[in-house]
Amino acid sequence: MTSINSTADMRNFLETYDGPSVRIMEVCGTHTHEIFRQGIRRFLSPKINLISGPGCPVCVTPAAYIDEAVYLALEKGCTLTTFGDLVRVPGNVKSLQQARAEGGKVKIVYSPIDAEKYAKDHPEEQVVFLSVGFETTTPSDVIAVKNAVRDGLDNFSLLTANKTMPGAYEAMASSTDAYLYPGHVHAIIGTKLCRDLAERGVSGTIAGFTGDELLAALAVTVKNVSEGKPFFVNAYPRVVTDEGSPAAVALVDKFMKSCDAEWRGIGVIPDSGVELRDEYAAYDARKKYSVPKMEFERKTACKCGIVLQGKILPSECPLFGKACNPDHPVGACMVSDEGACSAFYMYGGQS
Amino acid sequence: MKEVITLAHGSGGRKTSELIGEIFRKNLGNEYFTADDAAVLPRPEGRIAMSTDGFIVSPWKYPGGNIGRLAVCGTVNDLACMGAKPLYLTCSYIIEEGLPIEDLELIAKTMGETAREAGVNIVAGDTKVAGKGQVDKIFITTAGVGVIGEGINTSGKFAKPGDKIIVTGDVGRHGTAILLARDEYGIEADVTSDCAPLWEPVRRALEVCPEMHVIRDATRGGVGTVLYEIADEAGVGIRVDRTSVPVAPEVSGVTGLLGLEPLYLACEGRMVMICPAEKAQAVVDVLKGTKYTEGATIIGEVTEDETGRVVMTTEVGGQTYLPKPGNELLPRIC
Repeated sequence: MTSINSTADMRNFLETYDGPSVRIMEVCGTHTHEIFRQGIRRFLSPKINLISGPGCPVCVTPAAYIDEAVYLALEKGCTLTTFGDLVRVPGNVKSLQQARAEGGKVKIVYSPIDAEKYAKDHPEEQVVFLSVGFETTTPSDVIAVKNAVRDGLDNFSLLTANKTMPGAYEAMASSTDAYLYPGHVHAIIGTKLCRDLAERGVSGTIAGFTGDELLAALAVTVKNVSEGKPFFVNAYPRVVTDEGSPAAVALVDKFMKSCDAEWRGIGVIPDSGVELRDEYAAYDARKKYSVPKMEFERKTACKCGIVLQGKILPSECPLFGKACNPDHPVGACMVSDEGACSAFYMYGGQS
Repeated sequence: MKEVITLAHGSGGRKTSELIGEIFRKNLGNEYFTADDAAVLPRPEGRIAMSTDGFIVSPWKYPGGNIGRLAVCGTVNDLACMGAKPLYLTCSYIIEEGLPIEDLELIAKTMGETAREAGVNIVAGDTKVAGKGQVDKIFITTAGVGVIGEGINTSGKFAKPGDKIIVTGDVGRHGTAILLARDEYGIEADVTSDCAPLWEPVRRALEVCPEMHVIRDATRGGVGTVLYEIADEAGVGIRVDRTSVPVAPEVSGVTGLLGLEPLYLACEGRMVMICPAEKAQAVVDVLKGTKYTEGATIIGEVTEDETGRVVMTTEVGGQTYLPKPGNELLPRIC
């Protein structure tokens, strides 16, 4: 535990920092939300720029994915099971909320394991779980499939859009001087990747989630960036170990393989996602229901894409707070509490 | 087989009389309780306050209470907010056909006990039975009359810059208890509702501070919603020190997991009081020595700037607006 005095010291350092400008990208939606909740942005020196990167799974899920889910609900009569946030994300044609209003079955669950249980209890329904998320949540998606295999279910599958961070770190390296690495992702995958990245010139600090942990990670990052050498620091050692969780990694590896993935607003990043291996194709909704490629395109002035890359602030988007607000989100970043636009709106006193 | 409520219990005939006699009179009875068409009551001296509230909480029974306790406390506390000593309540039951009679008896027993604890008489009632599926087990509406102490004038619009803001205990308990009782999240935690009648602590607070500006019970929408309402009504700003807002560890554990803001979770036994700064400590001291408000503390102050807003000072000394109440509040919390 850090004492009160050192909180004040860290804060003072971040408030008065007057070295070279530093750009720090946080790549975890929980960090984004917590930084706002703690009011940290307001006291940072103008020399420190925080960029809310692509770390909220709902925000980076492409609109075409929602189109696929809508297709499964309305054309194939599947029961969709999903985390609540995803229901409100606009697709190119409609959101799942609209699909539900048109008679599609959309059920909110709190875990993929509950979705599998639901499928088991409702053999007359074809249940699809909307599998989005990062390294932190993929293991539970895999456990749901493992349970479906165990239970001999033929009515449960995943519509995968699972993302992995390593590809994104490299793809976005030019947008930032250092990353605030997501503590929970690295609790699973360990720290080797970060060390390798530092050798290739990509810097970052693994951060925890309390106010003190965030201040400490930011202070360490600013100090190291200002010294000019690539670096890696694990500022969340109470949870993140070098090796991570080999058991979780092995479990995911058994069921899933790497694939290219589309990130909303950023485009396709090679090897930045995972999908079910061929031997589990029966649990892959895309294959099971021969989901066609979605080619809709919606014209919108929404700037979520460049917000996610840190090129503009949410408030610089022409729709922000006007056509786009948490009650009527136009872009995904306004949907989830962890989205940059939503956090900006709620804690910025926009409402 | 368990005896259950049938449509005949609501017919106004013999079964209704049995219900009134064996369940309601037995548990709620007092000198004013009537089976006639209206209760006849002595006229209180002074201004009276009158309020009504409907209760549809699901599930009807939860750790720390049931809908009966809620129905008494809800109206008693609404009266107390105006500085009114609660005198009389009426209650109207809408019962779903098939409710076990023993459940109704438990609810009536709880209401009787809570009313006696609150020092209020339940004087009249009504019972209707609705068909299966038309009501979820039982809905209760209570109405109450109280008498306001001389010189007491409380209202959300009386908050003034410089005033201190007090909460009478830890926040978010009732909402968390209900959420857990629904068992939709697969989380187990030992959280009990804070539901309690608060006239006695209010009476004592008004004794040391008769010039109290605002008293409001933080029910649906929690303390956060109350603070925004007051900021709006009085045209002032509100500054809250987040570290001084009391939250029980088990409540913050659950809200942390689910991403909920404890300030927006319902309380059923907590008041927000706003009074002149020089009286605030005396009010807190007297509340601390009174049952149900032992956890009273000052959480912030009313400001002239930031009109209509609630500003939070955070754990790391940052400042941020408390996000306005969203649309995700739990339905059927009270």
